[in-house]
Amino acid sequence: MKLSSGTPRVIHGFAACAAVVLLCLPATASAQQGTLGFVITLWNLGSHETRFVDECPEGLNVGYDEYWWRGLSKPDRATLTENGLKSRLQRYFNAIRRGPNGEDVCMNPTAVTDPPLLLVEGDKAIGMDLDGKDGVAAGRSCPHREFTGIDGTAGVDNQLYRLLGCVYGFRSYGQVEANENENRKSNGKGMTLIEITGVDDPRNDPDVTVNFYRSIDLYTLDGSGRFLPHGSYRIDMYNGKPRYGSSVRGKIENGVLTTIPGEVNLPFYGNYTYQNRLFRDLRLRMTISPNGDSAEGMAAGYLGVDDLMFYVGSIGPIQSTTISNCPSIHVAANQIADGHPDPKTGDCTTLSSAFVFKAVSAFIVHDKGMRTAGAGRGLLDRLKGVFK
Amino acid sequence: MSTMRRAWRLTFTACALALLAACSETPKTTGAEAGMRLLTEPQYRQIIADVFGQQITIGGTFDPLVRTSGLLTVGASAARITPAGLEQLDRMARSIAAQVTSEENRDFLLPCAPADMRAPDDTCAAQFFGTTGRLLLRRSLAEDEVASLVRLANVATRELGSFHDGLASALAGLLVSPEFLFVIEQAEPDPKRDGALRLDGYSKASRLSFFLWGSAPDDELLRAAEAGELHKSSGLAKQVDRLLESPRLEEGLRLFFDDMLAFETIGRLEKDAIIFPAFSTAVALEAREQTLRTLMHMLLDEEADYRDVFTTRKTFISSALGRIYRIPVSRPDGGWMEYEFPEGDPRLGIATHVSFTALHSHAGRSSPTLRGKAIREILLCQRVPDPPGTIDFAAFNDPNSPAHTARDRLNVHSIEPACAGCHKLTDPVGLGMEHIDGAGQLRTNEDGYAIDASGSLDGFEFQDVAGIGPALRENVAAPACLVNRLYAYATARVPARNERKYLKYLEGEFADDGYRVPALLRRIALDEAMYAVKAPSTRTARVTDPVTGDPS
Amino acid sequence: MTVLLPRPVTRRSVLRGALGGATVGLSLPFLDLFLNENGTALAATGAPLPVRFGTWYWGLGHTPGHAIVPKTRTAAGIEFLTECQALKPHHDQLNFFGGFNMPLDGRSNYTHFSGWVASRTGTAPSTNSEIPAPTLDLLVADHLSNNNRFKTLDATACGIARENYSARSTNSRAAAEASPEKLYARVFGMEFADPNKADFKPDTRMMVRRSVLSAVNDDRKKLMQKVGASDRARLDEYFTSIRQLENQLETQLRKPEANQSCAIPAAPRRDGAEQNMPQGLEVDTVIANHRVMAQMMAMAVACNQTRVFNMVFSDNFSHMRRPGQTYTHHLLTHEETPDKDLGYQPVAFWFNCRTMEAFATFIDAFANIREGDGTLLDNTLIFAATETNYARVHSVDGVPVFSVGKAGGRIKTGMHVVGNGDPITRIGLTMMQIMGVPVDNWGTRSLQTSKTISEILV
Repeated sequence: MKLSSGTPRVIHGFAACAAVVLLCLPATASAQQGTLGFVITLWNLGSHETRFVDECPEGLNVGYDEYWWRGLSKPDRATLTENGLKSRLQRYFNAIRRGPNGEDVCMNPTAVTDPPLLLVEGDKAIGMDLDGKDGVAAGRSCPHREFTGIDGTAGVDNQLYRLLGCVYGFRSYGQVEANENENRKSNGKGMTLIEITGVDDPRNDPDVTVNFYRSIDLYTLDGSGRFLPHGSYRIDMYNGKPRYGSSVRGKIENGVLTTIPGEVNLPFYGNYTYQNRLFRDLRLRMTISPNGDSAEGMAAGYLGVDDLMFYVGSIGPIQSTTISNCPSIHVAANQIADGHPDPKTGDCTTLSSAFVFKAVSAFIVHDKGMRTAGAGRGLLDRLKGVFK
Repeated sequence: MSTMRRAWRLTFTACALALLAACSETPKTTGAEAGMRLLTEPQYRQIIADVFGQQITIGGTFDPLVRTSGLLTVGASAARITPAGLEQLDRMARSIAAQVTSEENRDFLLPCAPADMRAPDDTCAAQFFGTTGRLLLRRSLAEDEVASLVRLANVATRELGSFHDGLASALAGLLVSPEFLFVIEQAEPDPKRDGALRLDGYSKASRLSFFLWGSAPDDELLRAAEAGELHKSSGLAKQVDRLLESPRLEEGLRLFFDDMLAFETIGRLEKDAIIFPAFSTAVALEAREQTLRTLMHMLLDEEADYRDVFTTRKTFISSALGRIYRIPVSRPDGGWMEYEFPEGDPRLGIATHVSFTALHSHAGRSSPTLRGKAIREILLCQRVPDPPGTIDFAAFNDPNSPAHTARDRLNVHSIEPACAGCHKLTDPVGLGMEHIDGAGQLRTNEDGYAIDASGSLDGFEFQDVAGIGPALRENVAAPACLVNRLYAYATARVPARNERKYLKYLEGEFADDGYRVPALLRRIALDEAMYAVKAPSTRTARVTDPVTGDPS
Repeated sequence: MTVLLPRPVTRRSVLRGALGGATVGLSLPFLDLFLNENGTALAATGAPLPVRFGTWYWGLGHTPGHAIVPKTRTAAGIEFLTECQALKPHHDQLNFFGGFNMPLDGRSNYTHFSGWVASRTGTAPSTNSEIPAPTLDLLVADHLSNNNRFKTLDATACGIARENYSARSTNSRAAAEASPEKLYARVFGMEFADPNKADFKPDTRMMVRRSVLSAVNDDRKKLMQKVGASDRARLDEYFTSIRQLENQLETQLRKPEANQSCAIPAAPRRDGAEQNMPQGLEVDTVIANHRVMAQMMAMAVACNQTRVFNMVFSDNFSHMRRPGQTYTHHLLTHEETPDKDLGYQPVAFWFNCRTMEAFATFIDAFANIREGDGTLLDNTLIFAATETNYARVHSVDGVPVFSVGKAGGRIKTGMHVVGNGDPITRIGLTMMQIMGVPVDNWGTRSLQTSKTISEILV
């Protein structure tokens, strides 16, 4: 900094301060007067996998297709599969309707009784301790085996992992997750916005509010298809209020955001299925990059068994690659559910779960009066065109 | 824009000016010889859009022009058409003609339909060429000229079996004719001054129209030219005011700033995709649009002080630019929104726009020297000499103390005498902008190393890029530069020596007018200087650029 | 089509400075049966195959000491070093010219500009944008008969259309075709007349266009009287361009002779998404575009669409770059610290090597087309040059120049010619003379020369 030597010290001082202040221009990219914004770009099941599948000592699960043809006589098998030449996808519509009365066993998982689902037997998992040390004792959760977190945390609850960890399709190479992320990337459905308000210092703030919204604007990608930070995303609004819009409190310590457990409704889209996913007692732990352009973290909480089964059941013909079986998953899900016991029956109705995600910084645009983009609106516009 | 308010303001200004004019003396000029300049690409496109509509698409490449006196429009006054260039123009002409006579367009672009689609219709052809030819050649066509076009169309129709194809063939010929492609000015004896010359009405109309609208004269302006009205100050004033009040003034002024700010390469600007992933051609084009919108809004809509363009916080942002500037955009699906950079944000004025900072940078990093040079040459009309031919940087590159920031890299240029002369013109300015990276994004460090962004411009010191705007605003060369560029643009040539006094006078008037651009435009358009023409010298004229020494 | 019997091109006639009349009137393609037993001449007339002339440009010179081993006397044998390894297989098609200087007579050395202007026009520029005389390719084109579709064909692989190193004057400089698609569309697009197609009907539309253009010409006299003296020259150039266009139409209206060497190339490869080939200055992109354009250019020449061509690989400021790097080729030549063990700037050297590889690709494109008994390259002469010797210091002395091709047997190849400080214009002069331009001296001031490089003449 060039100041002539004759300038009084005080001015040097101020100038130095000013320089420091200017050099420390707000680095948090999408800061809007105390607000940080992010859009989730990748969302995956927190699934801990070892190279030799040690967590599934009895191997991976059998899928609906095998259950189907195993139940056929050899001649029937030969006919219906054209001696094995018909691909799984081609014979899906027969295989899935293996209920005694031709029921689709994903829509009617109790129509058949299949051998029990092979669950994850390993000790380690990704996740958080959701029910505390005395969760079961206090009646908050149902008895279940807990994991040790891969980061060493004791008492990690992740029954969703236990449930799906040995199902081929839900493992990292199994297509379900990969397809979900690819779908969302290109069609912009199920995009979650995370808005952190009341931020005084983006690296350290003991009290912030975290809001969750759905975006109606697609991701912006660069020339190679990577997600670009600092884009603007409008919130999905309905009748002047955000659709979704769950809110929890949290804090930021050294750039890591953690939230107090709360009920959070998230938009979800994957494999052509759209769903509201209501997470109960959701905790967020998100590490924000030093320059604020990106973040990654974990969201752990309880997911309703019904919500899960709706999704698992809706995967449809893609199951020909996922090697999954709805009836076994249905039974096991209900059996190992560990959260939110039904007051009447005492049976737990939710599964502890953990999801890992990545995000890039985003400007979250609150635009009152914005109508949702969607089929309804498009139809209205088309009608307007007709009746000019 | 509020037409009523503007009209009132202009009238008031006009009266005031008239009074002042009676008192003050506009320096006389003798101008230069009548010129012949090539249509520039934007002018060509504008004319086609004006005559035939925006739906006509024009592909093809134009021969490059040499930027002279800071403007391609001036370079056009010396430009020639190469065979390859003419081939391109011919292809464009045929394509335009085909579109004009196509089924979709012919009903509203042609004034008549032929009796038989497959046979010549001389009456219809004559009607078409009479009106269209006048607009394209910027003068009325003589009867025999129309007749020969009609004859051409007639023969072509017979060969091709279609009236419209025949018409298109002749129209294509018009579009490559020298009187379309070149604006050929004519001088005639001035009845008011014995022995002197004046530009003829059509030439005045062309100069005026290309100046204010960036396009050929419209029908009304041609009529005024034909009626001799442009030779009378009241007639000229009437047309000048009409052009100034039209929405087409904005198009014309955009063309001017496109030229002055050297935006013609911005569509080709490329940045390294790994270092600057958010940058793309779309961003480059929107950056240009942002700056032009900002200028038009300030200078035409608000009639602001020109110098404020360097310090204004107000601008327009699109969603792609929002990602570069890191600004929330309320219309991420497209479109423009007004935006004002908040207090404390160091980005003020057009010199901090992406269209400036990214254009004058390298593909992978910023460039203080390029930016400093651009500020000097583009915004201040100052000339930075060329680098010396033989200079070895070996002495400067010390492998033991690698240069981390641009300031380090350029340090030696400010010390070494052979370099310092020019680099001290450019580097102190550009180094002050180092908080903006090569893609126009704000940054606090260069690869982790702190940036010292102090700089100075002609004695005005600043700590970072927030200072460049005020420095430009205070620099007397900035408004003078605009005046000079506008005048060169209006006359489409390098200002002649005899015009220097007039330019100084204009600069003073611009200041008195509060640096308002519409007032300046009006002044230039009404003063005699813009239309002054002198007789060709007896020896073979060899026009050289008094600044660069470039020959024509 | 007229065929003039050429006077034999002998060393004697060159020394006497009398090379005029070696116009080869034949510019249309021909059949094998026209060749004599040696495949080197037309049977009936004895006239040689048409010789083509072209230029190839690359930016930022060589790395001295690592490109070509310098010699003290002109002799056969070029020794290629690492940077020019790629040229080794083409040794017998090349001549290298080293040690020729560019005296600027006190005019500034406009960096990356004076070098190419002086060597191609014979005059050093007096400003940073002046092109004081026509470049030599245009002088050759002016001289050759006008029976080809294009007078010259100019293209650039680096995407910057305005950086065309062929120009008639400062203000008369065409845009080069800046992408494979553009070059293809211009040459092999809709208006291309396939010489090997059985049926040929003169296109009525072209006949109409010809009438239209001749009508444009009618205004010439009237217009000339309207303008001042300097503008008359510009109008004249315009009408010359009109004539060239009329010529082009004439060519299109004639049935082209069958041409064995001519095969329409495939349209430039497009990605699955129907996109054009990527454009830009990333070095791999430039190399890829250059390869495709070299093949197209060679085929355009083989199909006799033009006899004079200009190809630019990298522009004079070579903005070529590598992804993720902040430096461009040009910035490297100035800012990269030479490696103390290697003795040169390693990354700048890398770019230079890629450039020489591209040069080899260009030569290959011509060498791979059979023509008569040999290849297209045998009947071509290419002036391959750059604008500086050592980019780091912008020196214009010893700027490396190559000739490529055997010029129809008119030159020797495989020679390393040593200039001993002579003006570089000797090279251009010699090449023009080989092409039959009746010029016995060329250039101005200290660049003026009449000394042909007779060592390379046959």
